[in-house]
Amino acid sequence: MNKGNDTQATTSFAKRFRNELGLIVALVIVIGGTIGANLLMNGSADYLNEPVRNLEDILHQTALLGIFALGAAIVIIAGGIDLSSGSMIVFAGSICGLVMLILAPKGPDMLPDPTNVGLFVVCIAIGVTMVVGFMVGTVHTWLITIVRLPPFVATLASLVGLRSLAKILNQAVTAQLGNQVTTVRADDATFAYLSEWWVALVIFIVLGILCWFLMNGTVIGRHLYAMGGNEEAARLSGIRTDHLKWLAYCIGSVTAAIAGVLYTAKVGAANPSTLAVGYELNAIAAAVVGGCSLQGGVGLIPGVMLGVLFLRVVIDSVAKIVRAGSDDYQGMIVGFLVVLAVAFNELRRQGSGAKKSFFPGILGSITIPILAILVGTVIFVLTQKTQGVTVGIVAGIIIGLLLGGLKLTESARSQRT
Amino acid sequence: MADTPIISIKHVTKRYPGVVALDDVSVDIRQGELHSICGENGAGKSTLMKILSGVITEYDGQIEVRGESVNFRGTRDAEACGLSIIHQELNLVEELSAAANVFLGREHTSSLGLLNNRKMNAETSELLKQLECDVHPQAIAGSLRVGDQQLLEIAKALSLNSEILIMDEPTSALTESEVERLYRVIDHLREKGVTILYISHKMDEVFRLSDRITVLRDGKLVKTLEKEETTPREITHLMVGREIEEIDLGDSRQVGDVVLEVNNLSLPWPGHARAWRLKEISFELRRGEILGIAGLMGAGRTELLECLFGASEETPAGKVLLENQLVRFRNPNEAKRAGVAMVTEDRKRLGIFAQMCVRENISMCTLEETVTSGVISRKKEAEIVDDSVARLSVKTAGPESSITSLSGGNQQKTIIGRWLLTKPKVLLLDDPTRGVDVGAKAELYRLMDQLCREGIAIILTSSELPELLTVSDRILVLAEGRMTAEFDRSEASEAAIMEAATESALPHG
Repeated sequence: MNKGNDTQATTSFAKRFRNELGLIVALVIVIGGTIGANLLMNGSADYLNEPVRNLEDILHQTALLGIFALGAAIVIIAGGIDLSSGSMIVFAGSICGLVMLILAPKGPDMLPDPTNVGLFVVCIAIGVTMVVGFMVGTVHTWLITIVRLPPFVATLASLVGLRSLAKILNQAVTAQLGNQVTTVRADDATFAYLSEWWVALVIFIVLGILCWFLMNGTVIGRHLYAMGGNEEAARLSGIRTDHLKWLAYCIGSVTAAIAGVLYTAKVGAANPSTLAVGYELNAIAAAVVGGCSLQGGVGLIPGVMLGVLFLRVVIDSVAKIVRAGSDDYQGMIVGFLVVLAVAFNELRRQGSGAKKSFFPGILGSITIPILAILVGTVIFVLTQKTQGVTVGIVAGIIIGLLLGGLKLTESARSQRT
Repeated sequence: MADTPIISIKHVTKRYPGVVALDDVSVDIRQGELHSICGENGAGKSTLMKILSGVITEYDGQIEVRGESVNFRGTRDAEACGLSIIHQELNLVEELSAAANVFLGREHTSSLGLLNNRKMNAETSELLKQLECDVHPQAIAGSLRVGDQQLLEIAKALSLNSEILIMDEPTSALTESEVERLYRVIDHLREKGVTILYISHKMDEVFRLSDRITVLRDGKLVKTLEKEETTPREITHLMVGREIEEIDLGDSRQVGDVVLEVNNLSLPWPGHARAWRLKEISFELRRGEILGIAGLMGAGRTELLECLFGASEETPAGKVLLENQLVRFRNPNEAKRAGVAMVTEDRKRLGIFAQMCVRENISMCTLEETVTSGVISRKKEAEIVDDSVARLSVKTAGPESSITSLSGGNQQKTIIGRWLLTKPKVLLLDDPTRGVDVGAKAELYRLMDQLCREGIAIILTSSELPELLTVSDRILVLAEGRMTAEFDRSEASEAAIMEAATESALPHG
């Protein structure tokens, strides 16, 4: 009897954390594969040569993305979407930098000197930044619950607007202080401590634990899941959905504001033209890879944290293998992983993976050559230095033939039934 | 061959998780007949019709149309085969005009590929005239009365030259004069040789219209009969399958003090010709009493309950007193705190949390009570959930199983259980037995009776009059947002209620 319960408990654990366990396995495979590929191609692997530096680097990047991905995930679980985090990051960074600049002592040239403002001013700047995060989240909630804008539209407006506002605000405030610039310096010595890799990591882990506690242990968390799953039913169960949304969007904005402070400290300046462009999509992608459904109501915090780690590790691995700037490949990798993760979940949900036709009808016929061209192009890009154009073309043709064959078997099968 | 059936349904079975909606059903439909399909709610009528019309595409068994096996992949395929369905819940795009709805998906275009509105309007106008419907083809579908919307759907079917028309409880939302008009339209269609499948559980309609009658019960085929060879009594008997248990529930109940008093409650309806969804409703509800609310679709039953629960879209006017205290709920949360609970009509859309388990669904409203120092105590939660499951005898594999694995009746019990945990003074039940099988219905009736004896006051709406007559102590009748009658248990009858429910509201100002 007892034994039966035990097995049930373990299977339900495996079932509940299926996604998380899968991600851990995938992580091991990716890291092992990268080391293997590096050893094969160059006889040495960067991960083995400099494990500490690589670990610090990956963890730092993971923590920075993870901090606001947690916020994005909670908004998504609550049934909404927050597109504004990238712009919120740079807006928060700018606010933080501007406050330090305003409070900085005057230098000999009568301009504020932000290089040594002291701990107190740094704390004030960070405090103001957090309040600004709260303000943005509150306005989002107001637009969504009272004005009844769709969350997509409300946060899209912030995505476009906040970056631009950061830019002109930086110019206006620095002009008032005597030297108009767009990029605000934030290179105070105390503030620079925040650029240490472990600071971001500690904040990420603490936030992760807090979020896990909130979502898994408290009434509010349960209600957030309920609202994300069925908002009307939640409202009709006496749940204050408007208050919950307020909380969710504020978590979204404040976590982005925290990330904004850390990114600004890392760079030593907040440049609205370049900092954190497109990061909102990385955060959403990490949440989705981590098991959140954009329909809401589904997703676990540990999954999101692993999703972020997985995303960063894959980006880093590709950079290691291709030996090029990881930034150039980042978008492609994120896009690919998101499609893969969501498709995987969707197929599992439909439960008919084996019988499903992937290329039915004319849409299928036209998709096959497009996929072949895409794969061929990617292979060409990756191999052109050594192989020229041939390998890409051959790979494209092979993929086209394979998929064509798949379509033929599919249509043969559907005719039979 | 002349007597090849136009539709032949062979051994069709449809399973949903936890319930078999159709179990090996075989029926032949003859060319040109009006064939009624009868059965209680949940008997499988609608499922069968959805399969015939291509709405449901996955099932076991075979459908033949004019002797040829068909496998519809969507409603388009069915329409191409000459099969159209008029759903109980109408399928119009409310924002589009009448003509645009009739030609949706097969719009007439000019040689340039632009929409040919003139032609579509003219044809719609012609079709509607045939149907005795004086709606302008450019009228917006959503602004029409339900009866006219239904005729619009029929016009659409006619424009497709459908030879087979399926009507799913077409009279459930119509006034008497609209029903008469529908009968004339049906006669007209039959003269043109259209075969009609008519879904209903109203015996007078079935016997007035049908050639043959098929009875379904709990997903199984009971019998197909010629109209001449049977009687309404026999059909009713076959539908229920056993003598309706005379669960005489109300007699020995003791009604207590007034717990809820409603005075001149009105609910505005901005932008609508009627201006009021509800107009000047007044009644009292006593402890230990079941108050039934009768009315046709769109009469305002759900809206009335929503007003009492603080869930209405607009702010209602008038006074509501709960235990002699004036209350004005701004949201369901306030209603819940004050001791009002509501089980919503559309269980799937408004009631259950499909991605959650039974435990989470039951504890949803009362989680706060399980909290120790900020954290939900799993132990306390499990205790209250186990109590509810046992008390309501919910049939489930365990509190951790998914809510969607439960049958409709048991899902409904979990939702009632969820609300009973809030210890309500007033329980609002909005059509709680919709889509629940016969056995589970009887259980729900007994549960309501038991709750009343414990001192809860219940307001119950139902689309089934026999249900209201069985369970209620008193019945209020709504028609077009007004209260048109109030019956005591002793004086209520189906005929009297129907008369009051179809009573047209006073002439508009």
